[in-house]
Amino acid sequence: MKRILLTILLTVVLCSAWYSPAGADDSQGKKLYNGWCAQCHGYDGDAKSYTDKFSVPKPRDFTMGTYKFRSTPSGDPPTDADITKVVRDGNPGTSMPPWDRFTDDEVKAIVAHVKTFAPDAFKDAGKPITIGTPPKASADLIAKGKELFNKAKCVECHGTAGRGNGEKGWQDNFKNDWGDSIMPADYTHPWELRNGSAVEDIYRTISVGLSGTPMTSYMDSLKDEDRWALAVFIKSLQQQRKLGVALKVKKAASIPAKADDPAWDSVEFMDLPMGGQLMFEPRDFTPLITNVRVRGLYTDKELAFMVEWSDKKPNNGSDGKPADSIWIQFPVKVTEAVEKPYFFMGDKKHPVFLWNWKASAAGDVVEQIAKGNENVEDLPKKDVTVITSYNDGLYRVVYKRALKTGGKDDFEVIPGKFVPFSIAAFDGQNGESGIKGAVSAWYYLMLEPSTPLKVYVLPPLVALFVLVGGVSLSRSLKSKK
Amino acid sequence: MLKIYPIIAAIGLLITVVSVFKKSPFFNFLGLLTLIYGLLKSAGLFMPPFPGQVITMYMAMSVFSLFIYFSIQEKTFEAFLEPMRAVLADDNKLILRILIVFIAIPVFAGYITYEKVKPNYEPPVSARIVHPEPVSSIEFRGKPITIIGLENPLRKDTANFEKNFEAGKKIYYQNCFYCHGDDLDGRGHLSQGYNPVPLPFRGTDTIAQLPESFVFWRVAKGWRGLPSGSGPWNSSMPSFEDFLTEDEIWQVIIFIYEATGNKPRS
Repeated sequence: MKRILLTILLTVVLCSAWYSPAGADDSQGKKLYNGWCAQCHGYDGDAKSYTDKFSVPKPRDFTMGTYKFRSTPSGDPPTDADITKVVRDGNPGTSMPPWDRFTDDEVKAIVAHVKTFAPDAFKDAGKPITIGTPPKASADLIAKGKELFNKAKCVECHGTAGRGNGEKGWQDNFKNDWGDSIMPADYTHPWELRNGSAVEDIYRTISVGLSGTPMTSYMDSLKDEDRWALAVFIKSLQQQRKLGVALKVKKAASIPAKADDPAWDSVEFMDLPMGGQLMFEPRDFTPLITNVRVRGLYTDKELAFMVEWSDKKPNNGSDGKPADSIWIQFPVKVTEAVEKPYFFMGDKKHPVFLWNWKASAAGDVVEQIAKGNENVEDLPKKDVTVITSYNDGLYRVVYKRALKTGGKDDFEVIPGKFVPFSIAAFDGQNGESGIKGAVSAWYYLMLEPSTPLKVYVLPPLVALFVLVGGVSLSRSLKSKK
Repeated sequence: MLKIYPIIAAIGLLITVVSVFKKSPFFNFLGLLTLIYGLLKSAGLFMPPFPGQVITMYMAMSVFSLFIYFSIQEKTFEAFLEPMRAVLADDNKLILRILIVFIAIPVFAGYITYEKVKPNYEPPVSARIVHPEPVSSIEFRGKPITIIGLENPLRKDTANFEKNFEAGKKIYYQNCFYCHGDDLDGRGHLSQGYNPVPLPFRGTDTIAQLPESFVFWRVAKGWRGLPSGSGPWNSSMPSFEDFLTEDEIWQVIIFIYEATGNKPRS
């Protein structure tokens, strides 16, 4: 009897394993998920993971079945294609990379496994909304979108210039469904728009919203054409990065008197992607300043260097958070030799100058000399001045210095010569201060010398010479005939 | 872009063949030069392209030797010069004369001069040695460790291999992934900010070429431990002896080899 019971039991167990709903697909999906997704999303899909303290925004918790990035109406689960899109394209500006190494079948298996963490949520398949053809961007459409941006109150979270600096975005209750503080998107930075930066992506986000966040669906409150107009306006706010190695500083008659002078907008710029300071404690794994834009101008007497970056909330140190701060770093000895000081705060043998500005002393800049991160001294000299502005989510700090300071120990900036510089930026709202902040690698700036006269004179002269030669050769050959 | 060069070579070959039939040494000369140039540039399709200077040198040699070849016999040289003479002096070639001799060549000479005299400011390029000569021994938190011949002690502990792999995975994602990438491909979300950019562990040109002892040394000492001559690279690689124990470094090394399917060189 016992043996029969045991046999039946064994058969039932075997059969149930055979009929498990996810089947063989799941074992491959689970293996891939555990290998390549669980480090961030957790082995149980609950985002309790190795990286949860090292990622901003945090990895998605799959157990609630709530997905931010969907093509389906609010409340519906995402389609398989939606989840596949995230796996394939990644989420720019987060630690979710595009996974292009897997085959389509592998991604399919991963998606199937991800869905098992919240089976109830996927009982009824979501039906994607129709995304038509985007209208052509025109000044009128952008103006209409801008009007809607205010009318639909987008501005309250995303700010007038779309830098994600709206008032509401900084209230204590601005959190997602998991209780984590979140930030509205900065539309001027297309490289970190999680849901994609194409006009269709923006339209989709406006239409269906982002589940689990204060970004709701505008499908019912805005007409289709209005959502397109809004998307076209938001797209127009995006800035393209211009990366490079060296910033060319042009000569000008004078330097604009204010940091927010529109004249600065037409000055050539270069963008510096920022990393975190990870070499020394305290380290910064989650810097929020991802990009710093630099520009420069010089006159016969003066050099001006502008640093510009998005900061959603300015902190001057009075609200219990550290003051926002930025410094430029120059080697004390500028040589054409390849060896530069260590890129962050130099070293004993190769000191660097820091032009250190803090929002707590707005009009002041402290000149320092650093011989490594633990050896920083304030200098008594006052060669450098700053003018600053903070407008609608955008910081601008303009450093000015005489071309020649006369100081023996000062570095010289000679037209035509490349001077290394690097930048560190600290966002007080993100708890950054001291050496915990965003850093850039070494770049160069070069004051572009005026073009030598020979460039205008020699080429036409040579052309004329060759022409004369050709004519005379032709004549002499003809006369011989 | 590179694909245009085989076409240039083919055109050169065509001109050469046609000119042989038409008995025109001048066009033969031009055709051969075009063919050689096209071939030299096409090499870039199969191997690292020749540097511009090398191409200039080869072309100069070709011009020189072909000129000797075509000028060595009086009759051939006469035929060689004929088209040039015709363009310069023939009355019924006036339009061609104006186009080539009076316009194209002077403009070209002016352009070449402009390219030569215009100021060209290039920032200094820094060279670096990617795999420096390994040191023979290091001091790890005050304890001397011989690097040459050192093996990963955790590889012998086969019973705990899974445990060490998982521990290594955790260490990787708490210390390395922001730079070296979720997928160990060197494209972590902070990687763009640094120069040199973080190394990928996938592929055959980094850890696959190294013994584990080398990787241990690089992880333990980071940028600060680079031998003089190959440093400091401005690397943002920390000295992980500040943050990890010896065993933890061996664990993470196991993870990066296993996860990328690479085998350490012995």
